Amino acid sequence: MPTVKLFANLRKVAGTKELPAAGTTLEEVLSELRKRNPPLVDAILEDGTLRPHVVITINGQITIDLNASVMEQDVVAIFPPIAGGASPPSFRRMNGWMV
Amino acid sequence: MAGWSEKVLDIDLSTQTYKTYPLDMEMARLYIGGRGLGARLLWDMVGPDVDPLAPENVLIFTNGPLTGTGYQTSNRFSVTTKSPLTGTILDANSGGFWGMQFKKTGHDVMIIRGRAQKPVWIEIKNDEIKFHDASELWGMRVFALTEKLGQNNNKRNVLCIGPAGENLSRIAAIMNDRERALARGGPGAVMGSKNLKAIVVEGKERPGIVDKDQFKFLLYEARKSLAQSPLTSQALPEFGTVVLMNIMNNVGALATRNHQQTQFEGAEAISGEELTDNYLVKNAACWACPISCTRITRTEKVEGEGPEFESTWAFGAQCGIADLPAIIEANSLCNDLGLDTISTGSTIACAMELSEKGYMDSDLRFGLADRLAPVIEALAYRRDIGADLADGSLRLATKYGHPELSMSSKGLEMPAYDPRGMQGQGLLYATSNRGGCHMRGNMVGPEVLGAPKLIDRFQVQGKSSFVILHQDTAAAIDSLVLCKFTNYGVAEEYFARVLSAVTGIKYSTGDMIKVGERVWNLERLYNLREGFTSKDDTLPPRLLSEAPTDGPSKGWVVQLEPMLKEYYRGRGWDEHGVPTSRKLNELELNNLV
Repeated sequence: MPTVKLFANLRKVAGTKELPAAGTTLEEVLSELRKRNPPLVDAILEDGTLRPHVVITINGQITIDLNASVMEQDVVAIFPPIAGGASPPSFRRMNGWMV
Repeated sequence: MAGWSEKVLDIDLSTQTYKTYPLDMEMARLYIGGRGLGARLLWDMVGPDVDPLAPENVLIFTNGPLTGTGYQTSNRFSVTTKSPLTGTILDANSGGFWGMQFKKTGHDVMIIRGRAQKPVWIEIKNDEIKFHDASELWGMRVFALTEKLGQNNNKRNVLCIGPAGENLSRIAAIMNDRERALARGGPGAVMGSKNLKAIVVEGKERPGIVDKDQFKFLLYEARKSLAQSPLTSQALPEFGTVVLMNIMNNVGALATRNHQQTQFEGAEAISGEELTDNYLVKNAACWACPISCTRITRTEKVEGEGPEFESTWAFGAQCGIADLPAIIEANSLCNDLGLDTISTGSTIACAMELSEKGYMDSDLRFGLADRLAPVIEALAYRRDIGADLADGSLRLATKYGHPELSMSSKGLEMPAYDPRGMQGQGLLYATSNRGGCHMRGNMVGPEVLGAPKLIDRFQVQGKSSFVILHQDTAAAIDSLVLCKFTNYGVAEEYFARVLSAVTGIKYSTGDMIKVGERVWNLERLYNLREGFTSKDDTLPPRLLSEAPTDGPSKGWVVQLEPMLKEYYRGRGWDEHGVPTSRKLNELELNNLV
């Protein structure tokens, strides 16, 4: 079963640093989490999509695709909005640039 | 004109005299203040014939037209000089209270020239400038000295050097308000070379504001935006910058053991979560800052500000140390001795690798937390092994025949983000005018945090356009001078509007970014005049040829060459990295060359 690791204030919401969650896609994993802890997934998703600045990695690779495949031994890490270093230029200036 | 005080204070320590004269307001319009104004003034004052530690080098302290107005984070100030560590142009800026107080003395700029025959400290009360004998203060550490000279956050503020600056360590910082630092590139050594121990400021003048109603409206709007942003209202206050530790480790971009690995098995033990749970006493804030990201921490031995992410990384992952109390105490010790934590930690890590590989005879080894404090002490006083470490990692590694083991660019130790997992960050380090630095722009936002939007961190093509935008924006914010964290919640459109409201000069967002581009190009011209070439726009060989063997960045090295070619084109520079006359004309820099 995939392992979900939580960081920053998500740990307080979940009451744990990590937990197993069944699923073959990221969406299924989050659905499984929602059954057990709705506030946790509310802190991650908004209207079925990732909240702004929430970062999810699968085995260290960043993904924004909720349909991304998740395998049995995978580690899904979920970070709430965090910041540091020098800030980026605002969205409006970067929007429209190459992605 | 409102915003600026329109006054320069010019101090000659050799004669212990001073003069004041009007600020060139055309220069102020083009460069605003802070880093930009400092760069323009240094261009005229310090040429390639000047050794950074000679009396002919200068320290230029600058604030900006927003400083002291009460706009969010309008507390910052800059120092500009020629770096004794890198030989490049150097500016460093700092928060706290001193910058606001300096502005209240009625000066935009303070130039420090020459060298005092004996140690002195300077006291500035509005127009009154006094030189005091500092013979009895020489040797004092920062915390005790700051208290002795009467630090009072809203009334009287102390800026000083510690023993590291006195002993001309090329990684010495200038400290203000006890634990704030003008840290990078060794400005503390320049101050030490001038026999200047401290500058204390007290002022009563209030900066003028042309359109007070608009200013109040923008203040309200910015406060609302900062309160609404999850980054500035929750992430930074709740966990501070150290919260980056786990995510950088998770994605395989946390430089570890002198960049030999990109993940640290002890990251969780030195994370922001661990710091918050077990060592945080309370939050604190710089003057006029609603974000309050400062962390007051306590161990059995020390209590004070920090450590920030970079400092925690430098003594932690970079040295292979997972002992958070030892890291907090190392950070505090550096503040008290007046040292740059990033360069200190990374230089110790370099010595650890040199020693482990048998190139250097010392007992330093990765993971030895109990060696941190003694080595830092030795470094600040140039004692024993510290004599080798006091001038940074490049000089250390060169002495022992392996300069490639210095994790620096242009001689400045790089911070925590391993660019093998963030290609844009590699280009940013390589092209940074003051050397390997994350405050001249930082690609962690778009490449990892998805702020303002996520881009592929391993992508090479097209990355230079993002780097250029980040660099120019950072240079503009550094010239205002504001804290870059506000930009997580407030668009730079607001900065242009508030600058217009305060000064009465109409600045569009494009005008402001153009100032940033002008500053970046001027700094580039300065470095070219010093003899730097495109060959210096590079990274340690390890990052260009040694790919991580495991983790999320496995198999990646920095693809610098194609990014650099694209960067030069994007900058409007020729293939050798020299700004073209067309670009210089566009930026009104053509009269300088």
